[in-house]
Amino acid sequence: MIYFDNAATSRPKPEVVYKAFDYYIREIGTSPGRGSYSLAIQASRMLYQSRKTVAGFFGSVDPSCVVFTKNSTEAINLYFDGLLKQGDHVLISPYEHNAVLRPLQTLKNKGVIDYSVLPEEVLYCNKDRINDYVQGNTKLLVLTLASNLTGQIVFQRELSHMAHQMGLTVFVDASQGAGKKLINMQDDEIDVLAFTGHKDLLGLPGVGGLVSKKQLGITPLIQGGTGIHGESYVNPNAYPDSYESGTLNMPAIWALKQALEYIDENIEQIREKESFLIDYAIEALKRLDNVVLYHPDHIRVSTFCFNIKGVSSSDVVQTLDEQGICVRGGIHCAIKAHETLGTVATGAVRASLNCFNTRQEIDEFMRVIEGIRPCT
Amino acid sequence: MHIVFYKTNDVFAAEEKLQENGITTKIVPTPVQDKAYCGVCINVRESDLEVVKSSIDGMDYIII
Repeated sequence: MIYFDNAATSRPKPEVVYKAFDYYIREIGTSPGRGSYSLAIQASRMLYQSRKTVAGFFGSVDPSCVVFTKNSTEAINLYFDGLLKQGDHVLISPYEHNAVLRPLQTLKNKGVIDYSVLPEEVLYCNKDRINDYVQGNTKLLVLTLASNLTGQIVFQRELSHMAHQMGLTVFVDASQGAGKKLINMQDDEIDVLAFTGHKDLLGLPGVGGLVSKKQLGITPLIQGGTGIHGESYVNPNAYPDSYESGTLNMPAIWALKQALEYIDENIEQIREKESFLIDYAIEALKRLDNVVLYHPDHIRVSTFCFNIKGVSSSDVVQTLDEQGICVRGGIHCAIKAHETLGTVATGAVRASLNCFNTRQEIDEFMRVIEGIRPCT
Repeated sequence: MHIVFYKTNDVFAAEEKLQENGITTKIVPTPVQDKAYCGVCINVRESDLEVVKSSIDGMDYIII
């Protein structure tokens, strides 16, 4: 089986991730902040150590500025719902995932906020034109780090700098590309960032989070048990605890810590391998006359998308599956990106590689792709 | 002597700082004295008080 769907979830994981999960669930097995006996204290200590690793990974200096959630979608909802108030305006890129689009559209439908979509030209050519889209009530600039559809890098440091000069807060959805260590919150002027553990960060499903440069004065998304100040009828004013109501997925959090350390230790090899694979794949696809490849020349992570002339994306996915190759077709929860590419009606096929893939797998993929032709 | 914090995260951040400064620490249940604080706290020797204070300067805590 050839797995090219790492943008959905990475597979396999580094061996240290499996071991960390197994260790936690067998040897610790308790919940942080939920007891004062030794084993629960150790769980709380491991949670702190995990926060510290996440903060360091993204360039935030304060471990208490890491709020764990179940994924980036929850982190994005937490931030938008907690931050945005009546009359606020938000700028987004044309490549945002539905995890960004839908919470904003829902707030817009309720009459709370409005948002504008920056055209591609502002992202890549005339960045100064961002001024044309900033209004007096614009509070936030939202950029995905990389498109989950095309793999192209969307976040632009110059835009975050310009946004700050205009008094905006900069938020990055790092669901795609976080594991490449392309950004640093300090150097790149990122105020708040959402991540998920199971994609590019090579961790397990069920953990994500919100990282900020300073503690956020926002409203919690949910109310409930926090392990502290149980006498209060509502969540206490305690960051990050009050934003993590309910039992945390500590086995996945501990495994994420090991995944981040694995990435830190192997980042050069990961970049080199993925860079080779993606260049090799794109050059091979460019040579095929039956393939339409979208945005092949952008700087990107190891994801690309394409269509085969005269064949539906779902048929391509099915044919590849029959040959043991896993890719994803359809709209990819990224309607804005498909609108930008002009592929809403057709969908597209996305292939997403990672450092565990091989050139031989790409050769096999190309062999199958070359043979897919419209029925005559 | 108990160093009691408002947030769980601060307990373990402080534990790390104190150990870096050579203080012997033990995480223990917070004495039932003030319910407005975290469920666990740090037990240290009274003779280490001055080093403790300088080590966790700026953090939000009380000593009981």
